[in-house]
Amino acid sequence: MTNNGQFREGVKDALPVVLGYLPVGMAFGLLARNAGMTPSEAGLMSFLVYAGASQFLAIEMIYKGMTWLPIVSATFFINLRHFLMSSNLSLYFKKTRLPVLGFLSAQLTDESFAVAISNLPKVKNSPPYVFGLQITSHLAWVIGSIGGALFGPFIKISEYGLPFALPSLFICLLVFQLKSVRHYGIMVVAGVSSLFFKWALQGNWYILLAALLAGGIGAVIEIINGKEKTGADRQEGDGKQGQSSKLKAQRKTLRKCLEFEAQRRISRSRIEL
Amino acid sequence: MREETLAIIFGMAVVTFLPRFLPMAFLTRWVVPERVKMGLGYVPTAILSAIVFPILFFNDGGKVAIQPLYLLSAVSVFIFSWKVKRLWASVILGMLVYWGLGFLM
Repeated sequence: MTNNGQFREGVKDALPVVLGYLPVGMAFGLLARNAGMTPSEAGLMSFLVYAGASQFLAIEMIYKGMTWLPIVSATFFINLRHFLMSSNLSLYFKKTRLPVLGFLSAQLTDESFAVAISNLPKVKNSPPYVFGLQITSHLAWVIGSIGGALFGPFIKISEYGLPFALPSLFICLLVFQLKSVRHYGIMVVAGVSSLFFKWALQGNWYILLAALLAGGIGAVIEIINGKEKTGADRQEGDGKQGQSSKLKAQRKTLRKCLEFEAQRRISRSRIEL
Repeated sequence: MREETLAIIFGMAVVTFLPRFLPMAFLTRWVVPERVKMGLGYVPTAILSAIVFPILFFNDGGKVAIQPLYLLSAVSVFIFSWKVKRLWASVILGMLVYWGLGFLM
C-alpha cells in the first residue's frame, strides 16, 4: 500500500476514537474554563500534553491554586503507564528513523495504542498508518477541548450514550485480543489485580502494576511451556533481511489466508460453544 | 497567556513525552530476546483489562461501586463484539444500550 493509502487507513480506523475524544475533550475544555484557564490555554495544553487523566487532574490542581512542581510530578507518575505501551509498540518499528519515532510516540495514548495493537498487520513498520490514526485522534482531542472551553455550557456532552463511547471501545478491543484460554486467564488476573491496586493505592498506578503483574505471569507461563509462538512473534516472523519483495508478498498473502482461516475457526468454535 | 500556566503546560509536555518516547527509542535499536518478546505478547490483553475493569467497578468519585448501567452495557458490548468483530458497530451499540438503559434505570 502507498504511504497515502496507509495514512488514510489510519484516519479511518481512528473514527471510533474520535467519537470518544470529542465529548471528553469538551468536558475538559469546560472544566478548564471553570478552573480559570482561557480557551487558548486549554487548547495548548491538549495539543502539547495530550493526556486525558493528567489534564483533568492538572486543572483540578490549578483550581486549588497549586504550583507547577506538584502538577508536573503527578503528571509524570500518571503517564508512566505509557512506558509499557511504548515498549510493546517498539517491536513493530525496527526500521523507523529516530525523528519519526519521536513524532509517533509523542501522540501515543491508551486509545490509539488499543486500536493499533488490534491492527498489527497495518501497524508493522508503517509509520504513515499510525500517524493517520494518531493525528486524527489528537485533532479531535484539541478541537473538543477548544470547543468545550468556548461553547461548553451550551452543549450536552453527557447525552446520547457518549460517556460510554470510550469504555465500549476498550471492551471491544479487549475482546479482539482474547485469542486463547490463556488470554482469558491474563484478562482475569489483570482485571482483578487492577481493581485491587486501584482500591489500595492512590493515583493511577493500577494500570501499570496490574499490566506488569499479568504480563509477567503470561511471560513465565510462555517460558515454561516452551517456544509456543505468540501473536507478536507471528507478526515479527518475516523480518529477515535479504528476502526478495516477491517472496515477501507471497508470505503476506499466505499469512492473510492463514489468519482468515484461523478467524473462521475461532468464530465457528465459539458458535459451537 | 500567563507564565505560570505556560510553565505547567510545558513541564507536563516534557514528562508525558519521556515515557512515551524512551522505550521506542531504545527498544527499536536493540535486538529483543525471544523471551522478552513472549513476555510482551500478553501486555496488550493485560493493559486493556486493567483499563476496563476499574471503569466498571469504580464510580466517578473513585469509590468501589456496583453500577448496573455500566455492567449491563459492558456485557452487551462484550457479547456483541465477540460475535460481530466490528469496532465501529460495537462502539455505537455500547452507546445505544447505555443511552437506552439510562431511561429505564
